Amino acid sequence: MAKFTGVWGTFEYLDETTETIEKVRNEGVQPTVISPCPRHEIDHALGNPSTILPWIALCFAALGCFIGFSLPAWTASDWVLPVSGKPIVAIPPFTVIGFELTILFTAIHTLAGIALLGIIDSFRFPIPRGAKRYPRFQRDRFGIVVRCDEEKLEQFETILKKHGAEEVHIEK
Amino acid sequence: MEKASGYDTNAGKVIIEEHLGHPGIKATTLDYAKINDEMLAMLDKPHPSYFLLLLGFLLAFGLGILSFAIQLDVGIGFSGISHPIAWGFYITNFVFWIGIGHAGTLISAVFYLTRAPWRTAIYRSAEAMTVFAVLTAGLFPLIHIGRPWLAYWLIPYPNERLLWVNFKSPLLWDVFAVTTYMSVSIMFFLLGLIPDMAILRDEAMRRGKKLKALLYTTMALAWRGTNHQWVHYMRGYLIFAAIATPLVFSVHSIVSWDFAMSSVPGWHTTIFAPYFVAGAIFSGLAMVLTVLIPIRAVFGLQDYITNHVIQSVSKVIIFTSIIVGYAYATEFFIAYYSGSPYERAIFYYRPFGEMTSWTLLGDNQISFPQIAFWLMVFCNVIVPIPLWRWKVRNNPVAVWIIAALINVGMWFERFNIIGSSLQHEYDPASWGEYWPTIVETGVTIGSFGFFFTLFTLFVKSLPPMAIMELKEGTNPPLRNSVHKETDG
Repeated sequence: MAKFTGVWGTFEYLDETTETIEKVRNEGVQPTVISPCPRHEIDHALGNPSTILPWIALCFAALGCFIGFSLPAWTASDWVLPVSGKPIVAIPPFTVIGFELTILFTAIHTLAGIALLGIIDSFRFPIPRGAKRYPRFQRDRFGIVVRCDEEKLEQFETILKKHGAEEVHIEK
Repeated sequence: MEKASGYDTNAGKVIIEEHLGHPGIKATTLDYAKINDEMLAMLDKPHPSYFLLLLGFLLAFGLGILSFAIQLDVGIGFSGISHPIAWGFYITNFVFWIGIGHAGTLISAVFYLTRAPWRTAIYRSAEAMTVFAVLTAGLFPLIHIGRPWLAYWLIPYPNERLLWVNFKSPLLWDVFAVTTYMSVSIMFFLLGLIPDMAILRDEAMRRGKKLKALLYTTMALAWRGTNHQWVHYMRGYLIFAAIATPLVFSVHSIVSWDFAMSSVPGWHTTIFAPYFVAGAIFSGLAMVLTVLIPIRAVFGLQDYITNHVIQSVSKVIIFTSIIVGYAYATEFFIAYYSGSPYERAIFYYRPFGEMTSWTLLGDNQISFPQIAFWLMVFCNVIVPIPLWRWKVRNNPVAVWIIAALINVGMWFERFNIIGSSLQHEYDPASWGEYWPTIVETGVTIGSFGFFFTLFTLFVKSLPPMAIMELKEGTNPPLRNSVHKETDG
């Protein structure tokens, strides 16, 4: 992982966190925010970021649906079991299998997608080791991580301190 | 569930207006740190009475294993199931436990989509209950088939027998429905646990417990709580809720088609799918209250599982009780209105016994379906009626007694459907009686032991409430912006 250069700070209050996010974004930098629980206020302050996860889910739902219909259709054709002249490849009973496999494939790949996208983002938006080891982010503190050039470190340190950061750490 | 909650760019501050829905927890008295610490304290070393309780459940589970071992040794003939009653206690237990497993997904998915914020404190335990109930249910078809080592024949794979499974059979639909439901429930449960595992990881590191830290680090999947992770996580949670909602309704519908697709009197009805689903939600929520009310009392969780939560669950129980009661009445009416003598006969047989006797006080002996029928009506239709009163809903002890009786009633409802129809099919020459043997009773007790053992272990090893969602449900820490507080 590339060496991290930037500033990170901890915050007790949500409103101070969101204010700081806005000030940092005004300087042309998109910060990474750490919080103990999801808050819409943080999303709004960050400009409502989105995810491609629904597209992953949709693609695998379609794949599951296709397999769910084609597997029984193929097996019914491979081993023909005629019953009272009823259709060999019958859509209504196969809908159950199609539905179940749609759900199953969507669920598995949504979970895998969350894990995979999280790993990709940890490389795209790295956070410093100090922030990873800070014990209160999962408990009751908010964190803002700003990745920037060395010449801007002081500027962002000032912004974080001015808006109520409890601790500010510089990483070079 | 806030109205106009968010960061207002123009105002330059956070605006949180009043809650539209009741948060369930006492949001005014809780904060992030308090929630965190109190939830972690629940995982501290248990009281000796905990081990005593666990031992009791383990003994019940042991009885089940012993009974099953005897059946394996002697053969399926040692159970009471025989021609013409091929489905007895085992399939009753299967349907009952699948039904119990519906509450967790209902609470975690359906109530999530319908924005019922009171679900926050109870959904983790309900989800765990779902997982354990479906695991318990999944054992019963294996026990029932008599030769469980051949259960893999149900899986469609190229094999030496050159056969494929019959995808047109409702029994195979069941295999797919139950395994999908079990897989999705487990994944949904694990998904909800990820942020809480990160909390446990940090706590274990703080206390210097390396082994625990390693375990929780693995389960936390590198969770740091960054905004990127939260975006994926919350959207993924929504997708899970969206797909689990039709799944929860489909599973018991498919289980009901095991019966409804046959031509057996009392089974072959179109009402079965909604009737089974309503019954499943009814019994599942009753089990949630049966389990959570004692936990609330033991751990002192009145600030989290408030009376409002118990009241809300009770209201859904009342609603489903009405549906179930209506379904009972409809079955009888349709049996009469159909004009079919076989349908009429089976619906006479269920409450009153043999057709030859038209009086309750004659020589007619009480049969098992009769006991099941009257217990079913009493526990599922009569017993929930007091819940209409606010005073009863607000009394956890009264609600617990009602919920426990509903569990009894729902078990007997399953037996009433399964056992009675097979005893009296079309031809009187093939009628028969069914009484369970000691092996079936032992396995049934063992299933309760298995379920409660798993749940008891869960309560002390994983956070029984979703810490992250409790924090989300409480008022956030604000220095300058003011939010209108809601009463917990």
